[in-house]
Formats: sequence, structure tokens, C-alpha cells
Amino acid sequence: MTGRAGRLALVGVIALIASAHVGSPDTYFEGAAGRYRVRVIVRTPGVVPGLAQITVRLLSPLPQGALPRRVLVLPVYWDPHTAAPPPPDVAQHVPGDSTLYSAALWLMRGGAYSVQVTVEGAAGSGTALVPVMAVATRRLALDKALGAALVGVGAFLFIGAVTLIGAAVRESGLEPGAVPDRRRTLRSRVAMGVATVVLALALVGGRVWWNGVDSEYRSGLYQPPHATATVRTAGGAKVLRLAIDDTSWTNAKRQWTPLVPDHGHLMHLFLVRDGTLAAFAHLHPLPLDSTTFEASLPPLERGRYRAYGEIVHESGFAETLVATVELDERAGTWRPTDPDDAWTTGNAKRETGNVVGLTDGSTMIWDRSPAPIVVDRDAPLRFVVNDPHGEPAMLEPYMGMAGHAMLTRDDGAVFVHLHPAGTVSLAALETFALRQPGDTVRGLLGARMTALEKGSGERGAVPDGATPMPGMHRGEPLPAPSSFSFPYAFPKPGHYRIWVQVKRSGRILTGVFDADVRPAR
Amino acid sequence: MLAATSAVVGVIWDISWHRTIGRDTFWTPAHLAIYLGGALAGAACGWLVLRTTFAGTAEEKAAAVTFWGFRGPLGAWVAIWGAIAMLASGPFDNWWHNAYGLDVKVLSPPHVILALGFTGIQLGALFLVQSLQNRAGEAGRRATGLLFAFGAGILVQNIAIMGIEQIAFPNSAHNGLYYKVAAAAFPLVLIAVARASRLKWAATATATAYLAISLVMIWVLQLFPATPKLAPVFNPVTHMVAPPFPLLLVVPAAALDILVQWWGPGRDWRLALFGGVTFVAVFFVAQWFFAEFLLTPYARNFWFGVDQWDYSSRVREWRYQFWRIREDPVTPTKLGIAAILAICSARIGLWWGNWMAGLRR
Repeated sequence: MTGRAGRLALVGVIALIASAHVGSPDTYFEGAAGRYRVRVIVRTPGVVPGLAQITVRLLSPLPQGALPRRVLVLPVYWDPHTAAPPPPDVAQHVPGDSTLYSAALWLMRGGAYSVQVTVEGAAGSGTALVPVMAVATRRLALDKALGAALVGVGAFLFIGAVTLIGAAVRESGLEPGAVPDRRRTLRSRVAMGVATVVLALALVGGRVWWNGVDSEYRSGLYQPPHATATVRTAGGAKVLRLAIDDTSWTNAKRQWTPLVPDHGHLMHLFLVRDGTLAAFAHLHPLPLDSTTFEASLPPLERGRYRAYGEIVHESGFAETLVATVELDERAGTWRPTDPDDAWTTGNAKRETGNVVGLTDGSTMIWDRSPAPIVVDRDAPLRFVVNDPHGEPAMLEPYMGMAGHAMLTRDDGAVFVHLHPAGTVSLAALETFALRQPGDTVRGLLGARMTALEKGSGERGAVPDGATPMPGMHRGEPLPAPSSFSFPYAFPKPGHYRIWVQVKRSGRILTGVFDADVRPAR
Repeated sequence: MLAATSAVVGVIWDISWHRTIGRDTFWTPAHLAIYLGGALAGAACGWLVLRTTFAGTAEEKAAAVTFWGFRGPLGAWVAIWGAIAMLASGPFDNWWHNAYGLDVKVLSPPHVILALGFTGIQLGALFLVQSLQNRAGEAGRRATGLLFAFGAGILVQNIAIMGIEQIAFPNSAHNGLYYKVAAAAFPLVLIAVARASRLKWAATATATAYLAISLVMIWVLQLFPATPKLAPVFNPVTHMVAPPFPLLLVVPAAALDILVQWWGPGRDWRLALFGGVTFVAVFFVAQWFFAEFLLTPYARNFWFGVDQWDYSSRVREWRYQFWRIREDPVTPTKLGIAAILAICSARIGLWWGNWMAGLRR
């Protein structure tokens, strides 16, 4: 025990790439539960099975001005063979904050959970579905104090056991009052020696066991499937190819469920210029087959780029593929693969400002106070777009949303794609909302989702019964609000760049902002 | 002995809790029963040691062993050691859950430390009673002998719990591993008890105590309504899931008692040889057919408590089938290995039994 504890005391927390986003494992959601608007945060434990912490904040104005009777939370892991789900947990009021509720979520299996958040009150009862990815992402380090305490107790138990064995051999067989003779004393010492060797061997065996468990756990930590990004030339144009070449993916017996479209796209691919962060593209590659995706490459400057490919499985599991690609020369004429594709360059000088001019003459304003942004606290990510006359701009939904925000830390340790609905994947949400008990055949649900999107003639169709999102619209022609916000808290301190994308008069506009995030004290 | 009982009841309860309700905290009644066992044993034996050291009579001090200057009966020291190990396992187990996830296996390093802890308490109780039995006159021998058998029954129960993944379910009773594990584990305790106790049928009494504890737990737990609180629920249980029906150790234990009475002390190698082979032969015949019965509809009732599965089990035909009989069938070679293990187990048990027979303090 002592050896193991000592060794592990030296091991730091191993944080790996988190699931649906990179380096940002927690889930942020804003939406409606019936007539109540809620902001939900799920802090994942990083181990599976494990306990996640969920907080539910009721956003004002409250319907009928009254607090709800109770808030219920229930993590649901979908399986066609499950019986009725267990009863939901009643989230407890957080003392000192009348609109905040919290509970623990038991996530027992790796994969996609839909967390049902139900608010019951005078304004009726309503449920919001929050997709949460349960994956093991880290191995907790052994705290120094705990390690030292365990080593101390372990040493005491070891020496105590040897001493007890000695005492047992020396005295326990003697009639009361008799004094052990020299022979007994000698036998006792031999027994203590043998016990020391046996216990030491047991400790070594225990250490081997612990090491085995540890290495097995580490090998099971979540990693997104390996992908490789390359550029090829086709008819004078440059084409970016992202190939998923992970053996777990290409294996015919793979356990992955098929991909489902997220706002009409099987993949959302982001390119970020490595180092300077001075170029950015948001593309929607087309699948050549189940492993290869291609998109026409915009005329980005030469250099090394980080590529992030967001995909959603039929199971509701959302993940981000990560690759790097070297662009040797600038692409020529660009014919976008998809009308939703967009790119931008600039701000290499890292000018910080809250007002950014957009390419059509309108401006985007980051509506924030001068207060610093702090890790793990609600980030003030509210933006306003004004037209060239300074009036609120008429925006169109961009892939069903008022706006999209992509943010990354300088070193790439964090990359997140946000909507006004939070970090959740809306395609994942749709899989949970549309799933039926008969969906036991792979591809059935995905086909229904695709048909629904095509049938509605729009991208980002919201299924009936699914929760409407703030800033999200069923029909493209509806105007989007000129101001919108993204519920989020930065997971790590450092310098971040934020690209905020909106659509106006058929053009996709990108505002670029910088943020310094301070560590929590 | 009360502490040892509390701990073993707590462990069985806790396993049922995990199979029925799923989620738990440190403060479940099952956990409290386990740690109550530790605290009770630690406090009682700590008090006994302090009293013997500082306020003990000359006789009490004379009937004690020395440990770092303190004096107390050997059993008290072993129980204190066990209590400390149990308490130490708590924070270690908590860290383990945070680092590697909540319990997915019964056998994990912190659980082994916990098991060593309550095994220490059980052994401590056993040694205390045994030293009393050895010093008692004819009048007190029967009472202390029965108490000793009960303590040993708890120990057997403990071993059965630790082997839950290998030897608990009747569905495993047609596997080679089943007989190897049972042969390595049980003769040790049964023959040691038969040798050390003054009772004539000590091993049988021990196996009966194990049977009784198991049956009480099976009958009592099923009475309590409980529903799963963890998703996914594949098997919507409505009451606490009963532990598996105990092994028929009474039959081979009786055979061992006969052999020990027949040969007596002094011919231990021969006794170990015949004891080991007899254990495997008798246990194999008894358990093989009894397991077949346990898989029939006649056993699916309150009294036998079989066919009760975890809330997370996808209950299908496998519950009425023998598992892994193609991968690990029972063969003469495997029974031979089991017999060798049983002989070794019995020989160690006889050394241990002889030592306990001479335990005076």
C-alpha cells in the first residue's frame, strides 16, 4: 500500500480531450421547460460511473411571478430494453439564491445521456432535455495529504501486523502468567521475519494489481477517433479532406452508430490558424463515404491550421475530431461546398475591443462590463449587431440560430462551439426528442431525422415536442433577434479568441473578439 | 462477536443495496452497519486493552499479550488492527471512486483492505472466544464452543462474499473454477475449527451458522420494498434483491468432522490428504445436483430466494442456464487440481487449528 500511495502521489491530474468540445467537458444549456426558462449547468465528474453536479437556474421573468413548486432532474440512458426509468431526483434549493436549484446526477455508463429537467409550478409543468456526454476524461491525482495519511496508516498496519504475529507466536499459547522461554522468543522472531517477507510480497502484488487497474483505466479514457486532414487540388481549386482513420471507426464490427445531420450537415468543420489565430473558417464538408469528408478550401493564408470536426451519432453522442493541416499555398477561386460555409482573416495584432466592424458595414458589439472574466463563472457573452446606421440590425437565422460563437484558447487546449442554447448539440437533442421505442435498428432514427429536415424544407428543423431554444427559429424567413447571448463559463484561464457568426442579407458575417480569462481565486 | 455480526450483515445488506437500489452514499444503513462493526470492535477492544493495561487484575494481565508496552488478549489486538484497517479503507475507497469511477467490481484494492479489516475483527472475536474456550471448565465449553462456531460461520460467510463472482451463483456450479475456488477456501476454516473447537461437530456447526446467517438475510431482505434509483433499469425490481442461496457446505463439513474425530491429532498429513479429497468429492456431489435444483422452478420462491437479479441485468434465458460450461467445464483434471488445493487448504487449516487449540491468551 505504502509504495503504491507514494508513487501515485507524484502523478498529477491527467486531463484529456473532452467529448463534444475540446478541453471543456461541462455542459451549458439555456432553454424552456414549459413556461419556465432555465439555464442548466452539468459539471461532469470526469469518471464513469460517476456523480455529475447539475444546477438549474430559473431565468426571469418567472411565469406569474412565482417560484415553481419543485424542480426534478433525471438522467436517461436510452436503451430499447430498459424498463421504466428510475424516479427523478428533486433538485434542492441552493441557500441564499431563490432561483437556483442543484442535484447530483448518477451517470453510470459511458455515452450519451438525455437529462430531463422538469419544472413544476403554478404555470404548469414543463420539461427540457439536456444532452450530456458521459465519458471518462481524467484520472484524479492522489492528494498529498491523503497520500501521506494512507502511507502512515499503511506503515502502522504493516508493522502492527508483524508485531501481532510475533506476539501470537511468543505468548498466546502460554498459560496465563508464564514467561516465554528462549525457544519461543526465537520462534517468534523467525515468524516475524517470515511475516515481513509475506506481507511485503502481498504489498508488491497489490501494487501490481493497482498498476493494472490504473493502466486499464487510462487506456479506457475517452479519446476522439483519430482523424487526418489533407489538402488536394481538384480542377485548380483546393479541397480539404478530413479522413477518420481510427481503427475503432474503420473496423466493420464497430460499435459506433451512424452519424446524424446537425442543421443539415453531417459535419461542422472549423479551421483555426495555429499560433496567431489570425484566420478562421467554418465549413460543412460532404461525406464521400462513412469515413471521408471533403470541403472546398477558402483562400486562407499559408500556414499550419488546427482542424476541428464536429459530428453527432445517432445515439446522441456528440464529439469533436481533432487534426492539423499545413496549407502550403493560398487557394484560388473558392466555390463554397455549402452556402453556410464562411471564413475570415484578421486581428493578428490582437487588438482588443468591444466593437468590431463587419464586412457589410454593420457593427457587432460585445455587450460586457469591464469586470474581469473568471474561470468557471458565468461568462458575459452577450452580443448586439447594429446596421450601418447604428440601429438594431435585421438578422437572419444562421443554421437555425441567431448566432454561433466559436472560441479557442491560444494553445488550442480549449475549443468550443456555442449556440444561444449553450454547448449542447442540437442534433443530439433531436435524437432524444425523436427517438421511439422501435428504433432498435441502426440508421432508422437518422433516416427519419434527415427526412424530417428535408420535408420541412429547412435546416435546423425543430421536431414537434422538442424544446424551443432561445435564438432558434423553426423557419429561416423569421428574423433573428439583433442581440443574443451564449450561456457558458470558461474552463481554464488564459487568452482566448472568440469568433461570433451571424447572417444578414444572405451574408455570413464574423466578428472577432479577444478575451483574457483569469483563474478563480 | 456483535461487531463481527454487524459487519457481515452490513456487507450482505450493502451488496443487496447495490443490486436493488444502485446508488448509495456513505450514510446508507448498510454502510453504517459495516462501520458500526469496526467502531464497536475498535472501541470495545481498545477499552479492554486500556483496562487490562492500567486497571487489570493480576489474572487479567497474566492472560494477555504485550504489544508496544500495552497488554491485552491477542483477539483484542487483532480486532483493533482490523478496525484501523477498516477505517483507513474509507478515505482510500472514496478516492478510488473519484479516480476510477464508482464501484463496478466487488474486488478492488480498497475493498480488500476493508475486507482485511472486518476479517481482522472476525478473527479477533474468534480468538477471544477460543482463548476463553480453552481456559473454560467443562461447564463453559459448550457455550463458548457454540459461540466459536458462530464466529467461524461469520468467517465462512465472509469468504463466500469475497468469492461472490466465482462461487455465489448456482449457474456457476458446473464450472471448474467453482470447485477450485471452493476447495482452496473452505477446508482451511472448516478443518481448523474442527481441530480447535471442543465441540464434537464443530465444522458442521460452523457451516450451519453460515447457512443460518445466509437464510436469515435472504428471508429478511426480500421483505423490504425497494426500487432502483439508477438508470438504466433493465430489471424493475420491487423489493431488496436477496443474496444467492448459500453453498451446501454442511454436507462436506460433516464429513470433515467425522474424519477429524476418527484420526485425531498426530496424523495431520494423512488427515489433510483424506480431508481434502473428501471435501472435494462430497461437496462436488452435493453442490452439483443442488445447483441443478436451484435452477428449476421449484426453487423460485421466497424460501430459496433464487432468480432474483440486479436492476441493471437484462434478464433473459441465461438466468436458468449454467454459465460458461463450454469454456470451463468440470473435468477430472480440474477436480484433481481442486483436490490438491483442498489438501493444501486442509493442511494449513490443521496448522492453524492446532495453534488455536493451544491459544490461552
